[in-house]
Amino acid sequence: MKLIQNMFRYILFLTIAAMLVSMTAEAQRMKHRSGGHSKSRSSMRSHSKPANKSHTKSNTRQNKSINGGHKNSPDRNISKKNKSSDVKSADRKSNNKNAGNRNSNNKTVNRNNVNIDNSNKNVNINVDNSKNVNVNRNRNTHVRVNTRPYHRPPYVYGGRRYYCYHPYRYHPYRPYYWGPVWHPWGFFVATLTITAIIVSVNNQPYHYDQGVYYVESDGGYTAVEAPVGATIETLPEGSQTVVVNETTNNYYYGGTYYEQGDGGYTVVPPTAGTIVPNLPEGGEEVKIGDVTYVKYGETYYQPVQVDGKDMYEVVNVEEDDGS
Amino acid sequence: MRSYVMILMIMSALFMQSNAQEARIDTAAVVILDRMGRVIGDLESCGYQLSTSRDVMEVYALGYVKHFDEHEIFMVGPDKMLVNSRGDKGHQGVWYNGSQIAFYSYDENNYALIDAPSDIISMIDSVNHTFGVDFPAADFFYPTFTDDLIDNFDYLRFLGTSVVDGQNSFHIVAKNDEMSVQIWISDDAYLLPVKMVIAYLDETPTRYYEASFSDWQLNPVLPGVMFEFSPPLSAKQIRIVAK
Repeated sequence: MKLIQNMFRYILFLTIAAMLVSMTAEAQRMKHRSGGHSKSRSSMRSHSKPANKSHTKSNTRQNKSINGGHKNSPDRNISKKNKSSDVKSADRKSNNKNAGNRNSNNKTVNRNNVNIDNSNKNVNINVDNSKNVNVNRNRNTHVRVNTRPYHRPPYVYGGRRYYCYHPYRYHPYRPYYWGPVWHPWGFFVATLTITAIIVSVNNQPYHYDQGVYYVESDGGYTAVEAPVGATIETLPEGSQTVVVNETTNNYYYGGTYYEQGDGGYTVVPPTAGTIVPNLPEGGEEVKIGDVTYVKYGETYYQPVQVDGKDMYEVVNVEEDDGS
Repeated sequence: MRSYVMILMIMSALFMQSNAQEARIDTAAVVILDRMGRVIGDLESCGYQLSTSRDVMEVYALGYVKHFDEHEIFMVGPDKMLVNSRGDKGHQGVWYNGSQIAFYSYDENNYALIDAPSDIISMIDSVNHTFGVDFPAADFFYPTFTDDLIDNFDYLRFLGTSVVDGQNSFHIVAKNDEMSVQIWISDDAYLLPVKMVIAYLDETPTRYYEASFSDWQLNPVLPGVMFEFSPPLSAKQIRIVAK
């Protein structure tokens, strides 16, 4: 009988609404109030009678708990919820769930700050980027969308969708060298060989020499990204044919894509889904959720295997809003 | 004896709501969940094995396929955690020492380091929010787990007892428009999580996630060095991108 009375008091206590308003978050697979040793915990204790054993413990013991001790919210109101006639809240928003994406974007919690190093640390790049090259670059690393439909769902992370035709198969990023005349972005040379020519794109002169584009800087020349639209008559030695889709091929050399036209070979942005065997120096492995991509310029490459060989596929990255 | 107390508590809770058969929040379920929460909240350290399965859409034409993972998890309150996972995502480890988290992929031999909040739950919450890292079945360890279920689900019901993985268990279900969560809690002195099944009702076809607990170690003595990550000499540090 005493037990039942205690139980009754316990339930009664739970149904008494108190004043704390905790914030709600969605973490893991369900939504949770902010957890841990939050300030609301001490506030809650000061407002309420201890509801369970963990509340009566000494601070020392609480601090050793794996989760700070169980909490019963003083604003828990079971009876009110049970009386509610309308189960389906009119303003309940069903998030636009994508299969495989467990991460809701609607977060409203005041979370602890995590110091994230978002600096573009080139932990594996051996390029002299000290030269201040001020040019109007026509970046060739924005990706063109492929017309072939994807038969795989995208990998969804952080409000972006990463589309690939091939499944992820990790292999370490090892920069490929196209020979002694090839240089990565940022590489400085004092002089160019006599084979160098000048190509102009949007009134910006570039010096082209054997697959590498340079701009003048600091009394010499610095290798830069191949400018989209630059046209050369002859492909650099060692160029490879890469398949874009059933009707289109590109030519690939040193991280640059060329398309054949009437006037020769024109630098084009990479097309999503294109498979390349190697990536040049200057890329960076980045962990995006469970997947490690190689980011080269603005382009993400997914490590894949094709016919048993390690390759990279150009990823089509789309924002969740469809842009 | 403790089990009898629990049964009495549940019966009294059921009796109290017998005149409210339509109750959406079942006080018997609340009593059981609170009890489990208090047991977990009283732990200063623990270890357990977790077997999980999840539905993954790899190719549209095949629909969902099941992926399985095995996890070994250790925690020392308030600020140490180790997760060792093997499965279809490969072999991965997460070390948390109270100030820093290390993610290491054994298969890829690369690792990422990030600064972290100073207690386990804040760390789990923060890392999940910032980097999308799911700590398997971590929901149970939120100190407000019962309240979270009450707040976020339309129904929370105790369905009775059943035998799951050879263990007598209390069966509880929580449901809203988006998901149904079934929870089994051991019907013994400890009332620890046994199993969880989540159905994502707002997805077509419905996606399922399942987690089974085993080999619970309560308040084991765990050396602090377990939670310190030392990268292999050949391992490469890479950047982890926030969401």
